[in-house]
Amino acid sequence: MNETTNPPGHTPTPEDIDQHIEPHMMIETVPTKRKIDLVRKFKEEKLFAFGVTIVALAIFLAFFGPVISPYDPNFATGNVSVGPPNILDWPGLFIDTVFLGADPPHWFGTDNSGLDIFSRTISAPRTDLQIALIAALLSMAVGTILGLLAGFFKNFLTEILMRTSDLLQAFPVFITAMILVALSGRSTGNIVVALTIVYMPIFIRLTRAEVLGQMPRGYVEAARAVGNSEFAVAFRHVLPNSLVPSLIQLSTTVGFAILLTSGLSFVGAGVRPPTAEWGLMIALGAPQIILGEWWQSIFPGVAISLTIFGFAAVGHGLEEDYR
Amino acid sequence: MVWRFIAKRVVIALLQLIGISLVVFFLIRGLDADPVARIVGLNATAEAVKQATESLGLHEAKLQQLANYLGIFSSSGKDGIMQGTLGESWVTGSSILEEVARFLPITLELITYSLIIAFLMAMPLGMSSGTRPGGFADRFTFVWGLFAGSQPEFWWGLMFVFVFFFLFQQAGWPSAPAPLGRLNPFLTAPESITGFILIDAVLRGRFDVWLDAAHHLMLPVFTLVFVISGPIVKMVRQNMLRVLRSDYILYARSAGLSRNKVARYALRAALAPAMTLTAIIYGFLLGGAVPVELIYSLGGIGEYSIRSILNLDFPAIQGTVLIIAMVSLVIYLVIDILHAFLDPRIAF
Repeated sequence: MNETTNPPGHTPTPEDIDQHIEPHMMIETVPTKRKIDLVRKFKEEKLFAFGVTIVALAIFLAFFGPVISPYDPNFATGNVSVGPPNILDWPGLFIDTVFLGADPPHWFGTDNSGLDIFSRTISAPRTDLQIALIAALLSMAVGTILGLLAGFFKNFLTEILMRTSDLLQAFPVFITAMILVALSGRSTGNIVVALTIVYMPIFIRLTRAEVLGQMPRGYVEAARAVGNSEFAVAFRHVLPNSLVPSLIQLSTTVGFAILLTSGLSFVGAGVRPPTAEWGLMIALGAPQIILGEWWQSIFPGVAISLTIFGFAAVGHGLEEDYR
Repeated sequence: MVWRFIAKRVVIALLQLIGISLVVFFLIRGLDADPVARIVGLNATAEAVKQATESLGLHEAKLQQLANYLGIFSSSGKDGIMQGTLGESWVTGSSILEEVARFLPITLELITYSLIIAFLMAMPLGMSSGTRPGGFADRFTFVWGLFAGSQPEFWWGLMFVFVFFFLFQQAGWPSAPAPLGRLNPFLTAPESITGFILIDAVLRGRFDVWLDAAHHLMLPVFTLVFVISGPIVKMVRQNMLRVLRSDYILYARSAGLSRNKVARYALRAALAPAMTLTAIIYGFLLGGAVPVELIYSLGGIGEYSIRSILNLDFPAIQGTVLIIAMVSLVIYLVIDILHAFLDPRIAF
């Protein structure tokens, strides 16, 4: 089949022949090779392994956090503003709770409404990660498709699309997100929409640049020559070959989306109290900091800090390999 | 040639500003928010609602509202953008241009100092990455860039307050001031000239104010430097490593120049893209420094914008977005011109 796809007058180069392999044939061979790479990468690169561990833990908590938390994260279950137990007592308390059936202590203390901070900290990924993952995936999906169209079909409509994307990027990110969330109602769904709008232009730009780089390559011409429709060439052949930059960007975007979600809650334009959400918890604990009640803000903050670092480390690891 | 480039960029920037104003104008009116209800309250009579709607001009058709905002074919008899005003705040009733002029310099001062310090920090770190790739400073720079590149600045700010204000005070050490504004309440601020309090204090000869303002700015600036130095340092390092592999560096080396001299050559080339990044971060922080402003109660443009947004103060929202976008576009332009001077390969 490959011999027939050469356009007349075109001397095939080794590179061309490489590209004449149909993308679906590549997909069968490539993933297994990359999977092995990932396992080895996990073993060899400490930073990447650390990132993967954090990300896995965060995703685990997003699913099971509220289930395994010792107290209800949204109801007062203890006295107001109680500090965490001394770190030296933790092993003893742990044994008491697990083996002797004592009531679990408030490991991280309680906040000034009497909510258990430990339960809230491990329940929060359900809100934070859900918002961040859905928003990042949505902006990637929509952005990649729009970027593909913009790179593949160069006409008046896609020109308008790119100018709109430029315009979106000229908006101040944080303020735009605040406007979108605060004015459309502070719900999870609206935050997802706001984040998707804010992060989409990056994916449009990345994919378009990649598509433009793929267009002159042999396989595109080949796919056309065998009679594929333009849309089939774009979506079945060019798209799978242009996904890598977006996939790498995804991990970084999830990290930034967590940061923006919690930042919005912190300034009062995010989820409503008493939702268990890291940024909101830090905001509720903020006035207590100058009184010395450090535990209300410190634990959710460490959680955000580690999670974002985890996603950044994974993103960096993938970037090193594929870019 | 330079002038043609600048003229072209200014035209594009103007078009973007017009686009941004239009999008914001229709966006805030299209979303599900009712500023009238916010002002008159939930139990207001129909008469009160009607009166408020009319006094805010919201009874007009959207396009007529836009005309009033722009000041072309206005039906309200008030001035609009074309007459050089951004209207009046629905909440405070004062001129938005005046309010912005009061709050913007506070944010500009904070982020300008932070970015200058972060950029100056990135240079020696980038140098050391260049002279000793794989050395301690290089590895530190790498981890730092990855870590600080995306950290919750609002949380780090709180932690710094806890350590440098609360714990230091408990220990009886000289501590940072309480995070309650730009100056000690017993000091009167010097009359504004530039709006930058440290510069005003010098111009007015008030050195007590200068010391106190610097003391108050210390932690907010430190917080921002902590977070934004990450991406800048990372970028300088990456560029440094890339530039060091290029032919002209190989030539410089084979010509027998010292390590330091070669690194200095490379640094010049590595700094140019980092400057562009600095400009982008500057634009981002103009509206994105809100959490830090809130923590230290600085009262900058970010705090003003979140207040306007939560109060559904439409003219103030339009005004702040427009001004912030304008300032960042000016900064991008300035940096592009500087970039061209640093990098001789760029022709206009």
